Amino acid sequence: MTTTTTLAPLVITGCGVVSPAGVGLEALADMVNGTVNGTVNGTVNGIEGGHQPGEAELEAIGGEFPPVPLAATPDFRAEEHLEGKGVRSLDRTTRLALVASALALSGLGTPLADRDRARTGVVMGTSTGSVRSSSEFSRETLVREKPYLVRANHFPPSVMNFCASQIAIRNSLRGVNATIADGRISGLAAVRYARNAIAQGHVDRALVGAVEELCPQSAWGWYLSDALARDAAVGEGAAVFVVETPEGAAASGRTPLAELLACEVGTMGMSGLRRGMAVCVGRALERSGVSAESITTVSLGATGLRGLRAAEEDGVRAALGGLPPHRIRTADVMGESFSASGSLQIAALLAAWRPRDGAVGPVALVTSVGDDGNVGCLVVRRAAS
Amino acid sequence: MPEGASRRVVVTGLGAVSSLGTGARAFTEAIREGRSGVSPIRSFDATGFPHTFAGEVHDFEPGRILRRLRTGQWGRSSLFAASAARLAVTDAGVDPGLLSAARAGSAMGTTLGESTVVEALTGQWVREGMKQLDPALVRQAPASRIAVAVNAELALTGEAHTVATACSASNYTLGYAYDMVRTGEADFMIGGGADSVNRWEHAGFYRLGALAESVCRPFDTRRSGILTAEGGVALFLEPLESAVARGARIYAEMLGYGVNCDAKHPVAPDPTSIAECIRAAHHNAGVRPEDVDYICAHGTGTPTNDATEVSAVREVFGDRLPPISSIKSMIGHTMGAASGFGALICCMALYDGFLPPTANVTEIDPALGPGVDCVPGRGRPASPRIAQNHGFAFGGNNAITILGRAA
Repeated sequence: MTTTTTLAPLVITGCGVVSPAGVGLEALADMVNGTVNGTVNGTVNGIEGGHQPGEAELEAIGGEFPPVPLAATPDFRAEEHLEGKGVRSLDRTTRLALVASALALSGLGTPLADRDRARTGVVMGTSTGSVRSSSEFSRETLVREKPYLVRANHFPPSVMNFCASQIAIRNSLRGVNATIADGRISGLAAVRYARNAIAQGHVDRALVGAVEELCPQSAWGWYLSDALARDAAVGEGAAVFVVETPEGAAASGRTPLAELLACEVGTMGMSGLRRGMAVCVGRALERSGVSAESITTVSLGATGLRGLRAAEEDGVRAALGGLPPHRIRTADVMGESFSASGSLQIAALLAAWRPRDGAVGPVALVTSVGDDGNVGCLVVRRAAS
Repeated sequence: MPEGASRRVVVTGLGAVSSLGTGARAFTEAIREGRSGVSPIRSFDATGFPHTFAGEVHDFEPGRILRRLRTGQWGRSSLFAASAARLAVTDAGVDPGLLSAARAGSAMGTTLGESTVVEALTGQWVREGMKQLDPALVRQAPASRIAVAVNAELALTGEAHTVATACSASNYTLGYAYDMVRTGEADFMIGGGADSVNRWEHAGFYRLGALAESVCRPFDTRRSGILTAEGGVALFLEPLESAVARGARIYAEMLGYGVNCDAKHPVAPDPTSIAECIRAAHHNAGVRPEDVDYICAHGTGTPTNDATEVSAVREVFGDRLPPISSIKSMIGHTMGAASGFGALICCMALYDGFLPPTANVTEIDPALGPGVDCVPGRGRPASPRIAQNHGFAFGGNNAITILGRAA
């Protein structure tokens, strides 16, 4: 009863990324192109070059961290990248996402006109908003002399849509403004949500991405839950893409960086993550109209997680008949970045495609899996030069 | 031009877990009578708060509703969502095996996610330090679990999106679910939302000066703000063709929706932008202002909301305002579930033939201008054909759904 027709591709025309590799796609490209490998056994967990924050930086982030490896955006000063007031007082989630958004917009060959901004949406993936902002606000109700003596201006950031709405407010983007909290697959789910919003004419284009901040709350959560593989780091980052139709991009003179083909997500992994991942990859290929043989690269997500890593790779293997020759394991560079992982994986792929003579083939999968049974697979094609 | 096949989409199942009862029928009867679900707060220690009332669900027993989920492993919002979804699917009379085998998924809205779980973890942090956080609670904290709980309870394999666009979130989910069914991406979808009453939200709204003492009075001269509230709501959406083929009861047809963002201020709403959202919803649904027989208002009970919402409606409807009422006057502000409860009552109003009331109104604020019919007191028999359901949120996130009487 459901359709299995091939989808019309959308294109990425702008990309902004902030990660433990540094600010911008260039910094990520330097690091990713040092770690992309063509062999099966070439990967180790932990940081291969991603930035491990020093004491001063951890002090700037604030709070006491557990004894696990950490990966943070080096020397992150949002105010150097953003105009307008009050940047320093925003939470880290919002600052990371705002800088990624600003970079995505400023890198457009043709900037968005005012009338374009009214028809531009924002779709952001997040785990639980800034869990630091909400738990610190919650804490105030317990430690103040009276429970209501909280700071009113700290309340909106404790609500999960604060980040997406700040992106809209600071860039005058008046279309659909969605916050997608789908856990580890949030970055891919955001692409799927945005595809519908654009294809159904609710907006002409959207800033699409995901964000995760490094904070003591989530780091302790990872540490105590024992879900991280040995030596894997807790990371962070944000990646934001300008996504539009090929026609829209062409009419505005914006050059595509990549084509987004099908993005399939679901809870088909609840009864078995491997099988669920394989089904998801199979559907994404079918909806994209590309063959398994044409996939030469996969950008994997669950590299730093116990159990999930094997399930993800086995699922891809089952769907394709083997792992593609090129594997990008983003978490090796940036640590485990939970809800931001899918978007950072897309960014890493764009980074790997940056050298025109690079070895990475032109059709790639971006896969994601969560311990809640959620699986996702996006097919991305390098733009024809 | 929109892409994909275009199918008509109908609502055939409704589920509610609310302060006014469990199940769409119990909820609807209470609303029609103008009853209040507001009571003194029990879910957290409200000592020290000047205002201590909320719309809590005191008799929530998820174990009596859920068939698959182990209730001890999920947070309160997830249990609200899964329970409402189970009720909606049962109400729809659809074969559970068929659902599991089909391309079926959920999109559930929320404002604060698993707030009571985050609050419990915060308590552990304050008392014992972060080293002592309970890992079992940590696993319950991600907001994503709200939609995942729905899929797990119903053994669905399709997408499970938790849409966190604050207080318009349910309308966001219903719009997305509608598009998925309409274009053939999904066979069946569940839309709705869930949120839990919690201390931090109560404190936040109090400090914003937006919290009423014990009575919520939208449109009334004496209104003083919102009451925080909780619950879960779910609507089961399927193609008209499949509903007719299986002889299902059709509550309403979903006609379309509109979404936009003010992009101006974190908390102050903008009437011009809301008016644009109404127009976008009308355009998407293929209706004109004069076709709309009823507006289920966002109607939080703050003076700002009343003024903004009525002004926006005037911009589109001129001086001929349809009846516009607020069920928040009875159940309080259920946050991410709020526009889902609004959609549910719109379906029931279209199906049963009535207009939902605004409770607690003694004098409609003359400052709102002439012609504001907020259906004061009790529900009114009527035969609305098209209903417009409002949801607005922090960050200027507006979402409006349009529902029509089944032909």
